[in-house]
Amino acid sequence: MVKKSVDPKLLEILVCPLTKGPLRYDAERQELISDQAGLIYPIRDGIPIMLVDEARPIKDIVAGDPPATPQPTGRP
Amino acid sequence: MPDAMTVFDRRVLRLRRDRAAATLAGHDFLYREVADRLADRLDDVRRRFLLALDLGCHTGTLATALRGRGGIETLVNCDVAPGMVALAPPPAVAGDEEALPFADGAFDLILSVLSLHWVNDLPGALAQIRRALRPDGLFLAAMLGGQTLKELRQVLADAEIAAEGGLSPRVSPFVGVRDAGNLLQRAGFALPVVDAEVITVSYSDPLRLIEDIRGMGEANVAIERRRQFARRATLFDAVARYRDRYADDRGRIPATFQVIYLTAWAPDPSQPKPLRRGSARSSLAAALATPETPTEGAGGAG
Repeated sequence: MVKKSVDPKLLEILVCPLTKGPLRYDAERQELISDQAGLIYPIRDGIPIMLVDEARPIKDIVAGDPPATPQPTGRP
Repeated sequence: MPDAMTVFDRRVLRLRRDRAAATLAGHDFLYREVADRLADRLDDVRRRFLLALDLGCHTGTLATALRGRGGIETLVNCDVAPGMVALAPPPAVAGDEEALPFADGAFDLILSVLSLHWVNDLPGALAQIRRALRPDGLFLAAMLGGQTLKELRQVLADAEIAAEGGLSPRVSPFVGVRDAGNLLQRAGFALPVVDAEVITVSYSDPLRLIEDIRGMGEANVAIERRRQFARRATLFDAVARYRDRYADDRGRIPATFQVIYLTAWAPDPSQPKPLRRGSARSSLAAALATPETPTEGAGGAG
């Protein structure tokens, strides 16, 4: 099954609901990352879930994830 | 620990809506009716809207009502319940009215059908809505007002006092018409207009009404609600009281829904504004062709 991708129009206008700061889009993982809040918002079936309750802290990736992605910190 | 401002449990609201999403179609007549009425109002605004938002979209009822109308190019559907959003047409996003995930000036138009009555901090939500609008952007919303379900509230209160000697909040508190106008102004909107209408729905049975309320995911989410359901006996007593007091000669009972419509604009220099006091150049007396009678002690505008 091909994953539905998020509408580019949405990516232009979405901000972090907590800080109103910018988000980084991780197309591979289908996630929106708020560096200011330290939170990662999931995108499910092309629908960004911009709820603080559903977000997970950024430190989870660093600490808990297997090294599947070679350069987790290499993004501009 | 909830503070004094937190009346509604947004988590419970989300769960209710998520659960209601799949079977909403059987119970959403009120959303559809009000969505149609809001769409009619939007038709009266002669304008194109490139990007619009339906805040609290449920399963996209307003998008259906608007199809091809309202001068909207793209409508973003947003609801606090991911289960509802999943059924709404794209582009869609899960977001909370109390913490909007949208950039300043993102939208030309923000709409909302029967969702804002669950917001704890309505002034805060309205301020966020205004910020998410472009200058001269339009906010057009329908929310449930203070007279909503007045019959049900009365009989539930009477039955509960009779049976249990006390009263717990069974139906959520609603905002009044005058409050809504003040709140729009406080949130920094220009040209706010608030009006209300009453929709009376006729039911064969009070229990059907209660089914519909639950089916819409609209059951009470007030934090002070009691954790257990009303006792069966109390509920049946309330139903009997509802019939006794309100049934017409065919045995049908009415249920009142008050809908408050909010219309307001994000401020823009192009909008009409009242002139400064005392800046008038022609006298009212001349316009009315009556002799001018100067008032004692008042600095007349002339």
